[in-house]
Amino acid sequence: MTHPIRMNPSPLSAVPRKEDVGRLRILVVAAEGGGTGGLVQNLRQWADDGRLEIDTAPDLPRAVRQLASQRWDLVVAVLGEHPDDDLSWWIDTLRAAAGSPRLIAAAQAPSMGLVLRAEKAGVLDVLSLPVRRDELMRTLERLRAMSSETGAAPLPAVEPYAVGPYALVGRSPAMLDVYKLLARVAGSAATVLVQGESGTGKEVVARALHLNGPKASGAFVAVNCAAIPENLLESELFGHEKGAFTGAVTRKIGRFEQATGGTLFLDEIADMSLALQAKILRAVQEREIERVGGGETIAVEVRLIAATNRDLKEAIKQGRFREDLYYRLAVITIRLPTLAERGDDLVLLTAYFVRQFAERYGKQIHSISDRALDLLRGHSWVGNVRELRNVIERAVIVAGDDTLRAEHLPDELRGEAATLAERPQDGMLALAEVEARHIARVLGHTGGQIGAAAEILGIHRNTLTRKMKEYGL
Amino acid sequence: MTGPAPVRVEKALGLMPELEALDPLRALLVSIARPDERALWSSSGPYLTLGKRGVQPDELRRRMPQAFHRITEHLQVLYKAYVEALECQQRADSAGVVAALLRAGRLEEDVGRFTQARAWYGVALGVAEALQDRRPEVESLRAVGYVYLALGQPAEGARHFQRALALAEAEFDQAGATGACEGLGDTALAQEQWAGAYAWYSRGLRLADAAGDASRAGRLERQLGVLARQQGDLTAAGDFLHRARERFESAGAADEMARVLNEQGRLDAQLGRYNAAAAAYREAVAWAQRAPRDAGLELSIRLNLAELDLEAGRLLEAEAELRRAEQVAIGGNVMRRLPQVYTLMGRLRGAQEDETGFVFFEQALELAQALDRSLATEAQVYLAYGLFRSRLGQQDEARAYLERAREIFDSLGEAVERERVEAQLRTMSA
Repeated sequence: MTHPIRMNPSPLSAVPRKEDVGRLRILVVAAEGGGTGGLVQNLRQWADDGRLEIDTAPDLPRAVRQLASQRWDLVVAVLGEHPDDDLSWWIDTLRAAAGSPRLIAAAQAPSMGLVLRAEKAGVLDVLSLPVRRDELMRTLERLRAMSSETGAAPLPAVEPYAVGPYALVGRSPAMLDVYKLLARVAGSAATVLVQGESGTGKEVVARALHLNGPKASGAFVAVNCAAIPENLLESELFGHEKGAFTGAVTRKIGRFEQATGGTLFLDEIADMSLALQAKILRAVQEREIERVGGGETIAVEVRLIAATNRDLKEAIKQGRFREDLYYRLAVITIRLPTLAERGDDLVLLTAYFVRQFAERYGKQIHSISDRALDLLRGHSWVGNVRELRNVIERAVIVAGDDTLRAEHLPDELRGEAATLAERPQDGMLALAEVEARHIARVLGHTGGQIGAAAEILGIHRNTLTRKMKEYGL
Repeated sequence: MTGPAPVRVEKALGLMPELEALDPLRALLVSIARPDERALWSSSGPYLTLGKRGVQPDELRRRMPQAFHRITEHLQVLYKAYVEALECQQRADSAGVVAALLRAGRLEEDVGRFTQARAWYGVALGVAEALQDRRPEVESLRAVGYVYLALGQPAEGARHFQRALALAEAEFDQAGATGACEGLGDTALAQEQWAGAYAWYSRGLRLADAAGDASRAGRLERQLGVLARQQGDLTAAGDFLHRARERFESAGAADEMARVLNEQGRLDAQLGRYNAAAAAYREAVAWAQRAPRDAGLELSIRLNLAELDLEAGRLLEAEAELRRAEQVAIGGNVMRRLPQVYTLMGRLRGAQEDETGFVFFEQALELAQALDRSLATEAQVYLAYGLFRSRLGQQDEARAYLERAREIFDSLGEAVERERVEAQLRTMSA
């Protein structure tokens, strides 16, 4: 049963009208097996300025139907007996909903763990039941402020360093150094080791080296050493004869042979076993290989480029990487900067990806809102350019007009700028909240390992376990 | 400091012998395995599979009491059911004995131990055969029939359902007869005997309607919908599903609503109605969320949604949905279905013309052999693997994988699937 208040929410296809600006369409969804805890009645009383349209759904399936048929700005979901499960379900569901509505979760005495998980996922707010008017109104005002994007700038022109889909984009000093080094080494056939964090563009650099090098007319063959199971990697690299092992259904030409006359790019080389490293070393030194299960020696003439996001010298110290192979590969080393070290390259990369994906998805996007750009600048890009590329691709898919706006960006980004952390009016946090946040951050750093986290925090692991339970982490 | 690196699942499983006693430990190990955070944004991130996830021995040790608790809980209810059977025996209540033994069998079925379930049902059937009241025997026969179906032996299943039907009709047991018809329909459907399935479902539906059994009638309408869709009669399929949905929605049967909407999604997808199909699947997920936890059902819906996205070229959405499906399979202890997840992931990489996508097929094959132990699943993986290789222009390997799929379908007597593979091979030769 639904209870429209002032007007029926807009149909899915409707474009917001001028008089709709500032008006929020809110869907309030009851908890499974429970109601909305008087929330709908309160909201109706509080919606006295004509700027809220409220509708309700009695359960999750009916809410999904309403999300599919109408466009909403906000979903207020009352979480039930399993608030964590309910929250995950809502985050997942709203990702697929038209118009990317934001989420406010309401729960009985939400734990700090729930609040932190919600914050990380970009939930607009987690409110305690019964919901207080001032808290809700403050959150709605924040949402309005976020929705009213006025300023937008045209996308800047981008001149990529290389042509084609493997363009290098950026004019930061860090990248100019990379270009200079590239120009110096591309012309030779020397082996190159490209180092840099995940997503910094190691393969793009390898392709640029190939395209600008003496073997450009040959093939560029890339092998991701970490992606391929260890037991298959040898045959993938060197090939195999038919029947060499179970599953060797035909003779297979390996990547070394495929790359003859061209470039072989070994990505994530640190993930290779020591036994295979020895075979690679032989192939690099002798310029010849043997297929698995074959006795014939095959000459291979390839330019080798290797890449890693690990510290190979540290791996050598730990006995996980062969020193002799390292020196064979690192004839020339190119280090790639992180996105954070590249300053305003972020804007150029954004413009480049927006144009690339707009073309792919048949969109016309010529500008980006100031707020969207602020959010992109404020994000900590753990996945560097690869993460930026993913975010922009999704944003372009969602975008409906010629401007890329904050609302097109994922919740995680939108959440970072204005979510739960803003709740205390004076910017002060309770001691317990500071402690919970710090514990959560350390646990994130240790990948959930309690022992390691306890050591960093300088407390006994039992104390940490107790605190985790206390905060619901 | 971040502590020692986790052990990869591929290595961890390699250290565990294939012993049934270790199944719960294997399940626990897989369920707590996590992707390496550092790998998520690395270039190998898009190729993460179960084998590349990591597990901390320390965490496994800490979680072991949970696994022991689950094992003892299962054994406790199983032993209790047996003690109840004994108490019934003491009271000379043989029908009670049968009911308790059937309950024990269902408990085994719930955790995927079909052979053990069959053993319980077999004992129940032996007791039931000596009773004057034949209804417990009908119920036992149906239980045995379904467990044979789950074990991939439809002919044995059909034999038990036939006996159940004959007995139920002789005893005027309408509920028993309806259930037997449903079982026979399911068996015929599994064997792709469309006319037989239609006849059994229709007969069951008439009986269910006459008895006013709305729940079973709804299930039979849904199955008639499945059948009609598979035969290409999409209008009839829509009508059946609509009626099934009406019955379940008014009864508030959340799990059945999820199943019928899942089927509605498949019908809409076949009709080329992308948005309607996506909406049906999403609503199905919501109903599944309301029902008692059934990871298998949720997984099935998510796989269908991912396949829909894949076929519509919405590759980002397909990938996100497949990663959710992977998590449901791992977290919900339905690892047997992981080969399906990875096969679809491989198809997705094929659509992107990404050669490294072969790692998903390799992982799917390994899991089909180790966890699912189903030749039919293995054949399906080989078929998809062959098409992947063919798409990348690797015709020799494509042919070899398709021939392997044909060989397996041949050995299983799956004529329709065999013909599908044969058609692909003919296309390649042309």
